[in-house]
Amino acid sequence: MTEPSALQIGGLRKTVHVGFRRRAVEILKGVDLRVAENDVFGLLGPNGAGKTTTVKVALGLMRPSAGTVELGVDGLSHVGYLPENPYFYDYLSGREFLGFCARLFGLDAGTRGDRVESLLRDVGLEAAAGTHLRKYSKGMLQRIGIAQALVNDPELVLLDEPMTGLDPIGRVEVKRIIESLHERGKTVLFNSHILSDVHELCTRIAIMREGRVIWTGSVDEALAEAPTLEDFFMQVVTA
Amino acid sequence: MNQIAAIAVNTFKETIRDRVLAVIVVFALIMIVGGLWLGSISLGEQGRMMKDFGLVAVTFFGLIVAVFVAAGLVHKEVEKRTVFVLFSKPVSRAAFITGKFIGLCGTMAAVLAGMGVFLFLLVWAVAGDASGMTLVAVLMIYVQLLAVMAVTIFFSTLGSAILASVLGICVYVAGQLSHNVLSLTRLGKNAVTEALSWVVYVIIPNFSAVDVKAGVVGEDTLAWGQVALWTGYLLAYVVVVLALAALVFRRKEF
Repeated sequence: MTEPSALQIGGLRKTVHVGFRRRAVEILKGVDLRVAENDVFGLLGPNGAGKTTTVKVALGLMRPSAGTVELGVDGLSHVGYLPENPYFYDYLSGREFLGFCARLFGLDAGTRGDRVESLLRDVGLEAAAGTHLRKYSKGMLQRIGIAQALVNDPELVLLDEPMTGLDPIGRVEVKRIIESLHERGKTVLFNSHILSDVHELCTRIAIMREGRVIWTGSVDEALAEAPTLEDFFMQVVTA
Repeated sequence: MNQIAAIAVNTFKETIRDRVLAVIVVFALIMIVGGLWLGSISLGEQGRMMKDFGLVAVTFFGLIVAVFVAAGLVHKEVEKRTVFVLFSKPVSRAAFITGKFIGLCGTMAAVLAGMGVFLFLLVWAVAGDASGMTLVAVLMIYVQLLAVMAVTIFFSTLGSAILASVLGICVYVAGQLSHNVLSLTRLGKNAVTEALSWVVYVIIPNFSAVDVKAGVVGEDTLAWGQVALWTGYLLAYVVVVLALAALVFRRKEF
């Protein structure tokens, strides 16, 4: 019996029009993807493969030209998202920003306060909680970005390059957060170029190239075909 | 409702803490104080001159804040990609536009209240004139700027922030002149130009109808019934323009 899906994408296509002459560029050329509940799913691929666009369409930030996206959770209230290279409001403090995000989900003041403080602790930003975000380093912004993605205690978490800009300590902390989400039965989908992290964290992976998913399976299946995940990745994308 | 309030509070905090805003307000206060000099060279008309000059300064700097902050509100969110964070949450585009506008209304109220009270106290301290009409004039400037902000937000959903600022200023200037243009075309007795002027008159609100500066300084008599009517029109205009902005913004992809 197949596990229920947290995210199911079928035949997804996305065409954008660029330049003065509105030239059509097909970014996604029929993406099929299924993320089962409680998976830690790695979406891999070279730059320009369509990973970020796939996630944006799944979230409704972009409209699909064709195909279907089905969230296995009850709407965006149960989804958390960290964009790539996140940028937030300069003149808000970390605490104010998380409080703002929590309010967008309609959390009451009591729950909001507890949740914000616990997330600040989890991402190691307690000491900088009152500092304006414009004074945050890239790594700190990445951490506050992860915290805002978790503020609603989501069932499905989509993380776009979550390790970017983090120092080794930050990376360990983010890995712990992802592991803890997995232990708590949540589903995590993340895009990453850091294959060692993918190897360590993911249960399943999909590899994209030029707007299509060209391989999908478990990490063990990948490692059965090549000595390392890097070798397997190179083998698939250069085939 | 909760989301609109959250976005409004966030917008208010962001804009009120912006240093550029503080610089503009300081310049405005300096200009208002500059009215002291004008007052001192106008024999027996010191209070009137100070009020007149001060209200022009309040209008000018209020307009700068309205167009430049409103133009950047939506555009900045898109350019800096903070919209990714907002719209990956269950936030509608209409709630976003409404929240942004309400937050900016709060900022504009704080800015104009600061400038208005400062002008009132200055006139009172120097010329002994404690008429509350100065504050009423500032309130009517606020009503005009609400429409300018709504229009600028609408334009910012269509194009760049610079274009939105320029068009926002154009609408304000055209709104100050639209009544005169209509009167002039009536004199010409050309049905086509008169009809065109009517269209412009409806599309671009008649800001001069709620501009009570001249009445406050005693140069004109105030028809409060007309002012109330046009205030209602301007507020309805704001709602329509914001609805259009939300419609346009709903089509946007990020």
